[in-house]
Amino acid sequence: MRTAQFSYLKALGVRLAAGIPVFIVVTFLATSLSSLVPGSAAQLILGDNASPEQIDALNARYGYDRPVLARYLDWLIKLMHGDLGKTLFSQQSVAELLFDRAVVTFEIAVLAMIVSLLIGVTLAMYSASRPGGIVDSCLHAVSSIMLSIPTFVIVVLLGYIFAIVLRWLPATGWVSFAQDPIGNLHYVALPVMCLSVHQSAYFYRVSRSEFAAILQEDYVMVARAKGLPMRYILTRHALRPALPQILTVIGLSMTYLLGGSFIVESYFAVPGIGWTVLNSVGTHDFPVMQAILSLTVVIFVVIFALVDLGYAWIDPRVKIS
Amino acid sequence: MTAAAPDAAIRARPKTARLRLPRGQFFEWFACLFLIVLLISTMLVDFIPGLVRPNFPYGDFSQPPEWSLNGLLGTDALGRSILSRVLHGGRTSLAIVAVATALSLSLGMILGMLAGFYRGALERVVDLYTNTMSALPPVLVLLALISVAGNSVPTMMLALGILDIGTYARIAKGGVIAQNDRDYVMAARAMGASDRRLLMREILPNLIPTLTAIVPPLMAGLMITEGSLSFLGYGIPSPAPSWGGMIASSTDLLDRFPILILGPILAIVLTVYCLNTVGDSLAKRINDRGREIAG
Repeated sequence: MRTAQFSYLKALGVRLAAGIPVFIVVTFLATSLSSLVPGSAAQLILGDNASPEQIDALNARYGYDRPVLARYLDWLIKLMHGDLGKTLFSQQSVAELLFDRAVVTFEIAVLAMIVSLLIGVTLAMYSASRPGGIVDSCLHAVSSIMLSIPTFVIVVLLGYIFAIVLRWLPATGWVSFAQDPIGNLHYVALPVMCLSVHQSAYFYRVSRSEFAAILQEDYVMVARAKGLPMRYILTRHALRPALPQILTVIGLSMTYLLGGSFIVESYFAVPGIGWTVLNSVGTHDFPVMQAILSLTVVIFVVIFALVDLGYAWIDPRVKIS
Repeated sequence: MTAAAPDAAIRARPKTARLRLPRGQFFEWFACLFLIVLLISTMLVDFIPGLVRPNFPYGDFSQPPEWSLNGLLGTDALGRSILSRVLHGGRTSLAIVAVATALSLSLGMILGMLAGFYRGALERVVDLYTNTMSALPPVLVLLALISVAGNSVPTMMLALGILDIGTYARIAKGGVIAQNDRDYVMAARAMGASDRRLLMREILPNLIPTLTAIVPPLMAGLMITEGSLSFLGYGIPSPAPSWGGMIASSTDLLDRFPILILGPILAIVLTVYCLNTVGDSLAKRINDRGREIAG
């Protein structure tokens, strides 16, 4: 006799297993990155003034002169033991470093997601209930402009307004939540705002068209004929059928937000994943890049597995497995 | 008198209709016009009389916009004409994005069509590629490639081209699978058409509208990715002008000369907006046409 819980677990397992090929491709490519360097990776890392002895030493240490496949298998075996190697310069454990940085990125991503869901979906409900109205047309124009503003323009504009003109928020820096919760909120505000501009416009677009289609359904007509208030219909009758589509967008955005909000983190000097990637690209820190590429794939696979299960949870008619 | 009136009305109608732009399509027309003007002015930027070279120290440092050709958008911190730099930077970006799009569209279309037609192992490989690419943020892929291959213009074209192959392939594949069951394909097959004829002459024409409609938004995405890299300092190397790089360097002077950042910002936002608008409009037309045919 299969319980519901067991089938969820099994479905989750199946989906995670489906991600294994993607994981292998990406991690293998990440390992071979250092072999794609014209010349040798050790030369690139140490610069032009390195002596042959130094290069040999680095090769011996990290094995950049060994075949890619051998290095990849090494990396995989170490990964099983939870060892992602050490960073090239500070000799810090990559796994620890990544965990510290991922927490920061995760906090910003989740906050941005909540803010943009609240703004995007609420506005979508309102404008879908009055299609063609003045609010609807204005929001349509505003959202298409917002979707056209690249993040690197948004950070500059919002940074200018809030940090230079109004001086409400600090322009750069970071305090962790554990150190100082209020200060953390201060530093997190600008990055979250910048990410939310684009995200909320995206959520608005998707859910506006979803709600508009749902409000044409017969059961909504019945609810209106019964004289139910529009707000009740929107929250109790229309929200749930719109959720699968919204969930898809949540999954897509979450992978991008978690994969490192490069622009936001570098502009506001937030020590997250994106910031770490940029530093490691500058210093050719291959172990860190490799680990981050792999982490991104894991995040992607896990989130999409969860999104898939979410469909079944929202709508019990959807078969899982 | 009264009998002649309808005649006159009928004759008069085409005249007025020809002069009037279609209603409610102001933004579409604006977008097309902007893109055409941008394309011409960036392609012919070397032939604009009186426009200085992008790296020529033309005037005083950080001058606000003034009513002259070179000073129209002001001068930057090194006294170079911002208008000239915006146009030259736009030419480089557009060229990179155009080549990358041509590359990914042609490769993606071919791979996707073959995968959708023959299925099997090829389909699995294409799917794996698509999934892998969608699992990674574009900027991360580009940074990884640039860190090993350097940031020259050909590398950027190639690296940006890699990004969207999967997307085009997925759409082409889906299209072929959907068309493959249609009666007209079955009819052609019954008449003994070769696979090549089926794909190129029967199915491909039906994929072109959908594929065309996703080109502008994907190009807009590439413009943003390319701009992001330049903004982060990993785009085409300076002193070559780029919109992202100009925005990044103007931020140092933002507290004193905020107006000077306006030129490159307007350039990228308008370009992306217009590409998105054209894409939306194409998608809508294709949907409407599909509905007409079905209904």
